[in-house]
Amino acid sequence: MNTFWIAVSAAAAIGIPALATGWAQSRIGPAVAAALAEKPELSTTAILLVAIPETLAILGFVVAVMILSRGG
Amino acid sequence: MIIRMNRVRVLGPRGLLDPVLAALQDSGVVHLAAPALGDQVQRVSLTEKEARQARYLRALVHDVETLPVPPRTERPGEADYPGSGPADPGEFARWAREAGRTRRRLAALDKEAGELEAERSDLARFQQFVTAFRGLLPRGDGGMQSYHLVLRGEEVQAVSRLRAALSAVLGEQFALEVADLPSGERAALLLVPTSEASRVEGLLARSGIHELPLPAGLPGNVLGAGSTALADRRERLDQGLAELARRRQELLQAAEPNLARAGAAAQYRLLELGAREQAGATPRSFILEGWVPAAARDRVTRALSRRFGADIAVEDVGKEEWHGEEAPVILTNPRLFRPFETLTRMVPLPRYGTIDPTPFMAVFFPMFFGLIMGDIGYGAVLALLAGVLHVRSRPGTTVRAVAEILGPCAAFAIAFGVGFGELFGDLGRRWIGLRPLVLDRERALLPFLGLTVAIGFVHVTLGLVLGVINAGRGHPRQAVGRGAALAMVLFVAVALLAGVQVLPRSFFTPAIVALLLAFPIMVIAEGIIAPIEFLSTLSNMLSYGRIMALGTASVMMAVVANRMAGTFGGVFVGVLFGLLFHLVNFALAIFAPAIHGLRLHYVEFFGKFYSPGGQEYHPLGHWRPASTEPPLPAKGTR
Repeated sequence: MNTFWIAVSAAAAIGIPALATGWAQSRIGPAVAAALAEKPELSTTAILLVAIPETLAILGFVVAVMILSRGG
Repeated sequence: MIIRMNRVRVLGPRGLLDPVLAALQDSGVVHLAAPALGDQVQRVSLTEKEARQARYLRALVHDVETLPVPPRTERPGEADYPGSGPADPGEFARWAREAGRTRRRLAALDKEAGELEAERSDLARFQQFVTAFRGLLPRGDGGMQSYHLVLRGEEVQAVSRLRAALSAVLGEQFALEVADLPSGERAALLLVPTSEASRVEGLLARSGIHELPLPAGLPGNVLGAGSTALADRRERLDQGLAELARRRQELLQAAEPNLARAGAAAQYRLLELGAREQAGATPRSFILEGWVPAAARDRVTRALSRRFGADIAVEDVGKEEWHGEEAPVILTNPRLFRPFETLTRMVPLPRYGTIDPTPFMAVFFPMFFGLIMGDIGYGAVLALLAGVLHVRSRPGTTVRAVAEILGPCAAFAIAFGVGFGELFGDLGRRWIGLRPLVLDRERALLPFLGLTVAIGFVHVTLGLVLGVINAGRGHPRQAVGRGAALAMVLFVAVALLAGVQVLPRSFFTPAIVALLLAFPIMVIAEGIIAPIEFLSTLSNMLSYGRIMALGTASVMMAVVANRMAGTFGGVFVGVLFGLLFHLVNFALAIFAPAIHGLRLHYVEFFGKFYSPGGQEYHPLGHWRPASTEPPLPAKGTR
């Protein structure tokens, strides 16, 4: 049972932030594409804006790893 | 670093404005700036004639640039772009006429080629028709009229209606054959007596069936002769098109030297006119101001003195008269770091008088890249890729800069690959007994996380130190606030290390006391927002954990790729899938470290000290096409 909840917690730790990242990027992507259509020189800023929400997924991954290593 | 600039002011009699501008243009190092204007000093504006000429020249430049002149195989020399405008202003009119003439001839050739292309396309379609009804098409007139019909979609249903209508009108005096064409369309051939042609055309018009027109230039009576006549015509069309292409090429090649000269001279004159608008003038004198790299300042003043003697005066504009933000920025770095200026230039330039982050990027960016990739095999492939890009690129181009950035990245990837004992994932361990020297990224996840956060601590702290230095150059209060924030970060680190007994336990209390003392200083100096920024600084350090996350993902994918060889049915299929997976992982292993390495710099690191808003340095010089532009800064400025 304990192992089960550790696994569920780790899955939630990476899964929920990954969904949040996907949602955030789905909103940022079209806005960035529209901005690039008018100002192609913003491409660097655009890439960064799309990459920023990935922090959530990455930190989620780190937390999941910590849960597994501490709990397992 | 950012090159030191001097602001110089040149004063002289109004009549010398154009010669002085020409001299500055020859020097090629003065970035003109508008002088302070007032009641006495007015901006020099172009006369009506000059403004008209500027419009005319812009149109000429547009005409020249939009002509599809073939690129030269050899790079243009100095003689092609002389350092002065045309001796005779009438030359512009002659060049403009030539550009117009070339454009008109080109349009006529293109129109003729378009017509031939259209006929060739019709002919290809008709070829299908002739093949489908071979032997049925009439030879010569023979009292029969043929109609070539193409049926689409619902028109196919119209055939039976047409047949019924024709039977009603002509009895049995017609033949209607239907066949499918290779294009997917259905074709019909209708033969009727010539005497009934007008009635049949009326019927066809009412039925709405599309008639395939005979290709232009093909007499109707040749169809019965089979495909030979069509082939002859197609050959003549191909010859005609080749001849037109040759004439087009000759026309453009013949016009190219004069058009290039026309474009260059027009650009040159536009530069002159633009520069004049930067000057200030009184009824009798002119004032020019501009930025010169400090190292080139004496060279410029000597050149002006030699040419104009005491007729003009050159003086430095005191620093109290200008702000740092106004000065243009030239980045200069050691040869090894210079390619990384490309990364610095991807964000707005740093303001004049602040810190150029290029040297720090040159050290940390390849390190982060290498930490994430961390594989001897991938690093070697990347080094090979960098070598190929280097050989295939010209100096000064973006591709060359990318190649020179990838080189150190590959070196770090190989070095960290040795440290992590990785060669295409775990292949090195399985095949040649490679062992990790520093840590095993597959298993030691928490030590790897600790390492990356520690690197983040160093990187962010360095950013804070640079922020204190930047602020110390003119904003002492801000410098105190940032210094207090920096001290607090260090005290937090000491307290944490003492807490987990890496440092002696006795360090804990003094660190906490110092932290509490630094806090009010930071708030007083930087305001109430400072505590929030301090917390974001701590979270910025945790953000470097992405290096561990991406690095672990990279090695895990490589391990999965290696196991594919034994997972799929045959060895060959497994190896193939494994190689493909490695290829995908390699592409990700280039893309992810680049994006996240840049992000860690632009967001976490630059956020602590970077002051954007620097002006690009655009010295007044002789016009050159972009491909022959001399590298900045000009000779003698370093």
